[in-house]
Amino acid sequence: MVTSTTHRQPTGAEAGRAPHLPASAPRSTGRRWSAGTLGTQAFLVVLALAFLAPVAWALVSAFKPATQIISDPLGLDVTALTTENFRRMFSDVPIGRGFLNTAVVLLAKGSLTLFCAPLAAYAFAKYRFRGRELLFGTVLITLMLPTVVLIIPLLLEMKELGWVNTYQALILPGAVDAFAIFWMRQVIAAVPDELLDAARVDGCTEFGIFWRVLLPVIRPALAGLAVLTVMNIYNDFVWPVVAASSSRMATLQVVLSTLAQNITGNRIGADYATVTGELLAAASLALVPLLIIFIALQKHFINGILAGSVKG
Amino acid sequence: MTALLTTSTRGRRRPHLPRAVAPYAFVLPFVAIFVAFSVYPMLFTLRLSFTDWHGSGGAQWVGLGNYTYLLGNEAFWSSLGNSAVLWLLIVPVQMVLALLVAVLLDNARTRMRGFYRIAFLVPFVTPLVAVAQIWVVVFDQDYGAVNGVLNLVGLPDVGWLTTTQWAKPTLALLFLWKTTGFIVIILLSGLQSIEPSVYEAAAIDGASRSRRLWSITVPLVRRTLMFSVVLQTLAVFQMFAEPFVVTDGGPYGSTTTAGLHLYDHITRADLGTGAANSFLLVIVVMALSLVFVRLLRSED
Repeated sequence: MVTSTTHRQPTGAEAGRAPHLPASAPRSTGRRWSAGTLGTQAFLVVLALAFLAPVAWALVSAFKPATQIISDPLGLDVTALTTENFRRMFSDVPIGRGFLNTAVVLLAKGSLTLFCAPLAAYAFAKYRFRGRELLFGTVLITLMLPTVVLIIPLLLEMKELGWVNTYQALILPGAVDAFAIFWMRQVIAAVPDELLDAARVDGCTEFGIFWRVLLPVIRPALAGLAVLTVMNIYNDFVWPVVAASSSRMATLQVVLSTLAQNITGNRIGADYATVTGELLAAASLALVPLLIIFIALQKHFINGILAGSVKG
Repeated sequence: MTALLTTSTRGRRRPHLPRAVAPYAFVLPFVAIFVAFSVYPMLFTLRLSFTDWHGSGGAQWVGLGNYTYLLGNEAFWSSLGNSAVLWLLIVPVQMVLALLVAVLLDNARTRMRGFYRIAFLVPFVTPLVAVAQIWVVVFDQDYGAVNGVLNLVGLPDVGWLTTTQWAKPTLALLFLWKTTGFIVIILLSGLQSIEPSVYEAAAIDGASRSRRLWSITVPLVRRTLMFSVVLQTLAVFQMFAEPFVVTDGGPYGSTTTAGLHLYDHITRADLGTGAANSFLLVIVVMALSLVFVRLLRSED
């Protein structure tokens, strides 16, 4: 079902500049802006703006005075822009602590996934060993299970281990998820055996083959996995709310959701404006690091998915 | 002396894992984490689903009691019904929209493709909790930006998140907006494996653009489409965080999805029922996935 894709054309080098027609493309009439392409462009532009609008609105509104966000959600008075929402939010919720906790989890859990998943996937793809089929079958089953299923028993397990409200609880469960194994196995299976055997003949150790030969070869897919992993960990919210809800251990997303519950809790009056302002300030702060990472690495991310996903 | 030197330098004499042992060593870190935090809790849940247990004291074995209770329980069925309606509002629209966008982005004559790919993926990478909060504020009945626009053109306020008829579409829109970009990229990967010569032949035969889309592109990306449909079916039926943050399941339970209903059992410490509900949901999702796989295969 999933194999590495052979690219029909290089996908990286087309960022926003004039389109390069492949030599084989059906020759257009030569007019660059026919009615069809104009319609296409209009459709794409409108859709893209609709996709960007809510995020842009949040980023701008976070700098408006809280009362104005509510009295005039669409207006923008440039002279009134303020950082008041941010200052109030910083004093009301432990967002700094949230960023720190998220960073710790990201570093530990991310490294675990990026090391263990390709290593195990390498064994699944290129070695024969007892229990391989059973183990991989179990991986496939967990791929189908809703993650909510595991919340009750995992929480009990954390209580048993005395890990509630600890970093271990945030880091270890789900550290090497089934999807990462499944995806990496597909990618590694496509690497020719000759390459690995040649390294073996040259006296490379088994681990050396993985580390010095295989990893460099699958770099694009690894970059894709890295971005997806960072994104998942950064945005994870269900498990952290359950396992580490104390304000000392709260991750960024837990801090955000606590703020959000304030809003659904009391909806009337000036308080609503204040909380909304704080909420938008916190949401903006939370999405900026990820947007920067994504835009900086988007080429790797998109190519990584293209390299490792399903063929038509 | 020389022995010491050779073992400490790199090279073939360095003691290393025999080839037969290596795979066990390589899967070991994964297996340790996987068994401790996935397989064990999974088996635990399975056992729990046959007991009556509220988190403390002894668990009482009730056999299939939890399952039969749920199958006769209205809240369970209405949560599945809510998810089914959301599925209908989301998946067909998303597949058509994503395929259209993917085809346009695959066309070398489309300008600014790099920009569009980023634009459509921005909601996907944005933290859900942040996104959900933007939704709460933008769709607020009294102060929201959406009703602001409606008022500008003379239309009355709509209770987007506070009325039972609008809450589901508003939630569906959030999900569509958040995930369509990712489906576009997956479909794009399918499109890129189609040989351009197939299109050329059709163009020479005089097939129109829409005709080519329907009779060539769609059949050729069928497996990718199938993968996307299964992926999104899983995601829609497991949907938890969106309604949790935006509507808390309301108004009047109209956005209590199957995934969120599961959580209700946990908050009431009715753990045995929650576990049974989990496995019923797994069965539903697996059955649906199999149906889609069959449907999309049989068109051959």
